[in-house]
Amino acid sequence: MDLIKEVKSERLGDKYYEIKHPSGLKIFVYPKERNNSTYAVFGTRYGSIDNCFRVNGETHRVPAGIAHYLEHKLFESADGDAFARYAKTGASANAYTSFDMTCFLFSCTENVYDSLEILLDFVQSPYFTEQTVQKEQGIIGQEIKMYEDDPQWRVLFNLLESLYRTHPVKTDIAGTVESIAQITPELLYECYHTFYNLNNMVLSIAGDVDLDRILQLCDRMLKPSKPVAVERIFDPEPDEIVKTRADQKLSVATPLFELGFKEPVSAVRPSAGQIAETEILLEVLASPASPLYRRLLDAELINEASFGNEYFEGPGYASVIFSGESKDPDAVAGEIVKEIESLRKGEIGREAFARAKKAVYGRNVAALNDVGSIANSMVSLTFAGRELFSYIDAIAEADIPSVMKRLEIQMRPERASLSVVHPA
Amino acid sequence: MTGIEQRAVCGGVNFRSIRDDRFKTVRLSVHFLWPLTEQTVSPNAVIPFLLTRASRKYPDFTLLNEHLASLYGAVLDADVEKLGDVQVLSVSASGIADRYALNGESISSELSKLLCSMIFDPLLDGGYFPEDGFEQEKRQMCELIDSEFNDKRIYAKLRCEERMCAGEPYGIGRCGTKESVRSLKREDLTQAWSNLIHKAHVEIMILGNCNPSAVYDDFYAAFHNLGRTDTVECPIRVVPSAAKPRRCSDAMNLAQSKLVLGFRTACAEPEEGVPAVKLFNALYGATPNSKLFLNVREKLSLCYYCSSQYNPIKGILLVQSGVETQNIERAQKEILVQLEEIKKGAFTDEELQAAKLSLENSYRTLSDSLDGLEGWYLSQTFSHPIRRPEEEAALVNAVTRDEVVAAAQKLSLDTIYCLTGSGAET
Repeated sequence: MDLIKEVKSERLGDKYYEIKHPSGLKIFVYPKERNNSTYAVFGTRYGSIDNCFRVNGETHRVPAGIAHYLEHKLFESADGDAFARYAKTGASANAYTSFDMTCFLFSCTENVYDSLEILLDFVQSPYFTEQTVQKEQGIIGQEIKMYEDDPQWRVLFNLLESLYRTHPVKTDIAGTVESIAQITPELLYECYHTFYNLNNMVLSIAGDVDLDRILQLCDRMLKPSKPVAVERIFDPEPDEIVKTRADQKLSVATPLFELGFKEPVSAVRPSAGQIAETEILLEVLASPASPLYRRLLDAELINEASFGNEYFEGPGYASVIFSGESKDPDAVAGEIVKEIESLRKGEIGREAFARAKKAVYGRNVAALNDVGSIANSMVSLTFAGRELFSYIDAIAEADIPSVMKRLEIQMRPERASLSVVHPA
Repeated sequence: MTGIEQRAVCGGVNFRSIRDDRFKTVRLSVHFLWPLTEQTVSPNAVIPFLLTRASRKYPDFTLLNEHLASLYGAVLDADVEKLGDVQVLSVSASGIADRYALNGESISSELSKLLCSMIFDPLLDGGYFPEDGFEQEKRQMCELIDSEFNDKRIYAKLRCEERMCAGEPYGIGRCGTKESVRSLKREDLTQAWSNLIHKAHVEIMILGNCNPSAVYDDFYAAFHNLGRTDTVECPIRVVPSAAKPRRCSDAMNLAQSKLVLGFRTACAEPEEGVPAVKLFNALYGATPNSKLFLNVREKLSLCYYCSSQYNPIKGILLVQSGVETQNIERAQKEILVQLEEIKKGAFTDEELQAAKLSLENSYRTLSDSLDGLEGWYLSQTFSHPIRRPEEEAALVNAVTRDEVVAAAQKLSLDTIYCLTGSGAET
C-alpha cells in the first residue's frame, strides 16, 4: 500500500501529495490545473562531492567528476539512447549534476505518462561499455574546456578553493580532463549501484496530472531495492579559510568578483527557518533598497545588472557569497564588510525589516508559477531535510531577533575571502 | 486554452492582454519599437534604464526601491532587444497577484499607475534627465556591453551577426557601441524619449492574474494626452541569398574555440514559408535528436554543444559550436554535410515527426509562463493576424517533407566566423 499524505498551504491555496512508495522511493505530485506542460524530475542524492564513501565496510575513493560522467552515460541503454525514445513523445528532456545531487528531467505537454515511463526506465537501466565510456571523453572534455573560459565559473571555483581546504565542493563538478580519463565502466557501475538506490532518490512531478495513473505507472516500473547503508566520508574541514585572496587573468573586459564568507557547519543542515532568516538578512543588507547598494552604485563600484548575493549551502559547506562586476573589487569588499560590522553592532530598523520580509515572500510566491521551479525545489528541499510550504511560512513568521541571531555565525570578517578575475 | 484580448489604444499603440488566474503573478510591459540606426541606437537604448530609475513622483532611487520592496518585491525592469532591423525598448513591472498580498493590498493597480508615471512623467531637470542618473546609466550601459564580451558563446554569436549583417540595420549592436554610448549628451536623451512616446510603434502587454481593464484606462489616458499624430515605419530587410561565403575570425587566449556559421534562409515573417524553416531548423540542429547533435557531438565527439537557431524575423539561421582549435575544420565540414543530407531528403519520417513533436511541445509550453507569452506575442508584432502559440504549432505540424527539403535548399552560407583560442589559458 502506498502511504499518501496531502500537504496543503492555506496561505497559497496550493497543495501537493507526498507518497512513500513500497519500492523505497519518495514521490511528490504537485497538481497544477490547466497547465499545458508537466515537469518531472527523478533525482538521486549523489553529486560531485560524493567522491569518497564506505559501503559494506569497504572504502571507495573515485575520480573527480564521476557523478557528472554517470549522468551523461545513463542516457544510453543497450537498445539505444533515451533522447531517441523521448523523440517519440515530444518531451524536452535534460539532466544536471550539482554538488550534492544528480537529476534527470523532462517537460512535456502531450504523452506525459509515456514520457514518465521512459524516465523511470532509463534511470533504472545502467548500460556502460568500454566503447561508450570512451566516446564521452571528447564531449565532456569540451564541456570542461568551455567552463575553463567561463569567467563566472572560474571566479566561483577560485573562491571555493580559497574557502575550503579539504571539502570536495572546491573541485569542478565535471572534474578535470585528467580525472575523467581514469573513469571505467566498472567504476560507473560501482557508483551507480551505491547511489542510484530508490531509497536515496526522489521523483517529483508538477503539472495537470492524474495521481492514480502516476502511482500505477510507478507500481509497474519501479524496481524495489533494499536500502544500502552508504557512509559518505569527508576529511575534516577546519572552520578557518585557506586564503583571503584569489586572482586570475582571463579574457574579460571588466573585473568580476566574488566575496565569500565561510561559516562553521555541523552534521545537521540549517533549518527552513534559518535559511529564510538569512535570505531576509541579505535583503536588508544588500538589496537595491539598501543604503549599501546605493553607496556602491553612487561610487560607480557596482552595476545593477550584475551585483547579487546568495546563500551557498550544502552538505558540509555553507557560505554567504556576494558577486558582481566592478572596476575596484577590493573597494566593494571593504564597503560590504564595513556595512556588515555596523549592522552587527546596531539593529535592523522595523520598516526596513518589514519591507525585506515582504520582498522575500513575494519572490518565493512568484517562483511557484513555474512547474520546473516547483518540481526541482521539491527534490533539493527533500535532500536538505526541508519542506516547501513551511519555508514560505517561515518567511512570513521571521522576526528581527531571529534574523540578527544569524549574524552571530554568518559573514564574519575573519572568514572572508575575495576572488577576482581580471582582464588579461 | 489561453485567450488573448486585443484593443488599440490609439494609432500605432496596441494593447494586448491575457487574464489567467493560473498565475500567481502579473506582468505589465510596454515595448517601444524604433528602426535601428547608428544615430538613434544608443540614445534610445539608455531611455528604458533612465525611466526605471526615477520619476517625478519617486525622484530618489532608494525610495523607489523601498516602495517596490513593500509591494512584495515587485520589479521594475528595463530591456533593449533587436527584433530584426528594429530596436525594442522595453519597460516592465511585475509582482505577485493581489490574492497573495498578506495585507490585502492591490498590487496590480499600483504597478499600472507606477509604470505610467515612470514612462510619461519622468524626473526632468530644466528639461533634461538629471546629470547623476544620466552618468550612472551611461556607465552601466558601457559595462553591459563589456559583459557581452565576457561570455564567449554570446560574443562569438554577436560578432558573426555583426560581420554578416554589416551594412544592414541588424548589424548594429542592440545598444550601439561603447564609443557611441560614451559620447551621449543629455539633450540627445530628452529628444529620444519624446520620439519614443510620440512616434514609436508601441506594444503594451498585460499578462497574468489581474483585470486588464483598469490598466487599459491608465494607458489610454496617458497616450491620449500626448496627442500622437504619426507612427514611425519599422521596415525589415531580408537578404534573400549570400554570394560567396566570407570567412572572418578573431584570435584570443582561450581554452576552447567557437565556430559560428551564418546562413541566409530567404524566408522571414510574415511569409507563409516560415513554419517550414522552423521545422527544418528543429530537424537540423535544435534538439538532442537533431542531425547536428547526433553527428557532430554524439558520433564524432567533437564538441559539447552544436546547435542551430533560426531568427524568423530577420530570415537568418546560425549554427554555433565550441570546439578544439584543431577540430574547427572537421566540425565545419560535418555541419555542412548534415545540411546536404537534408537538402537531399536523407532523413526519415520518424526524424521529421520527432522534430514536429518537439516544436509543438515548445509552443504549447510557452503559454505556461508570462515571459514565454510576452516573448511570443512580441515576436508576432509583424504578423497579420497574430497567431497564438497553439496555432503556430498546428502550422508546423502541417508542413510536408518536400517543404522542409525546399526550405533547406534555399539556405545559403553567408559567413563563417571563428573565435580562435590558443588552446591554453593563462
